[in-house]
Amino acid sequence: MSDPSTIPTFKLVLVGDGGTGKTTFVKRHLTGEFEKKYIATLGVEVHPLTFTTNFGTICFNVWDTAGQEKFGGLRDGYYIQGQCGIIMFDVTSRITYKNVPNWHRDLERVCENIPVVLCGNKVDVKERKVKTSQVTFHRKKNIQYFEISAKSNYNFEKPFLWLARKLVGNPTLDFVAAPALKPADEGVSVDPVLMAQYQKELEEAEHVPLPEEDDDL
Amino acid sequence: MSEPLDALAPRGEEEHDPHFEPVIRLTQQVETKTYEEDEDVLFKMRAKLFRFASDSAEWKERGTGDVRLLQSKETKKIRLVMRRDKTLKVCANHTISADMKLQPNIGSDRSWVWKVLADYAETPATPETLAIRFANAENAGQFKEAFEKAQKSNASISSSSEEPVAEVAVEASSTETEEAKVDKPDDDVPTTDEVKAEEEKKEE
Repeated sequence: MSDPSTIPTFKLVLVGDGGTGKTTFVKRHLTGEFEKKYIATLGVEVHPLTFTTNFGTICFNVWDTAGQEKFGGLRDGYYIQGQCGIIMFDVTSRITYKNVPNWHRDLERVCENIPVVLCGNKVDVKERKVKTSQVTFHRKKNIQYFEISAKSNYNFEKPFLWLARKLVGNPTLDFVAAPALKPADEGVSVDPVLMAQYQKELEEAEHVPLPEEDDDL
Repeated sequence: MSEPLDALAPRGEEEHDPHFEPVIRLTQQVETKTYEEDEDVLFKMRAKLFRFASDSAEWKERGTGDVRLLQSKETKKIRLVMRRDKTLKVCANHTISADMKLQPNIGSDRSWVWKVLADYAETPATPETLAIRFANAENAGQFKEAFEKAQKSNASISSSSEEPVAEVAVEASSTETEEAKVDKPDDDVPTTDEVKAEEEKKEE
């Protein structure tokens, strides 16, 4: 695997109104989970997100910022030295789209001329309020627009792929299979207490139904 | 899940491709080792994986993609590897050992639950309670069959290396022929090898 100290790393600033799905989107990439509960982000949370590409491993340090004014914290301070950005809005909420120019202005003020992706999230929801044709903000600015769904994973890799291509100046960059290291030989002797605990967990898990049956399998 | 058809970037966006000064220029193709190079795909099927968060007693999604059983050409050992669609990150990676038991998940005829003492999706390895869901009961049944065959096969390797018992040897050979039947990867999603081959093509 690549030496962590040599991995090209980029600061990504993730902004947008509260509740548009910024943290859920980041978590989806980090662990695969889809968080349904809304817990407002306080200030900022920074998460490294690595991708294996045909030009080597790259890393985005994602600054997941609070969308809610009252939890905002440093604001401009978070944007300093941002090298790329994602502005998120919720296609089921017009006000979140109306606020996009404000987020863009704030970002632009601190980080001049960085690649920015506008993401219209929650396109899986039937009762959509902002139609594709109504999204025009990105046209005047040098912004790329993607419609995404953190829930269904629709286009969920596209914002990072587009930004990565711009940041390394290579439109042929693609994501490739990450290393799957060989598991060590077993023979892990587990103590009986732990084993009993695992057994209990397994039994508990069997009786908790899996979420969401409407998947795309 | 229904995907909106009109949801791609608005037309004209592709031609209007703004230029930004790259932060770093990457021009050299890099061949990333997958560590699957010396393995055969015995089984491959689309599925959704979950992990059990015991602190909150809930299932959390881990990824959607192809679950595969991979056999080392050299040691014959079989492991389970699953990668997420699109980003191809690893969401499950463990040896299939005899102590595992696929259990049904309540109310579902297309899911299995099992315990892994050391899953190498991330390093360091972690113990995980995993669940996997397939499109239907038939697919789930095929996975179970392949998984249990792999368990027997792996058990015969480790036991035959210690004390070669005749009975075990017989079992091992019959397992091998059965495995050959299971080997029918479908073609709709590129395998890692295909992805790699494409990469090599690009390089030329």
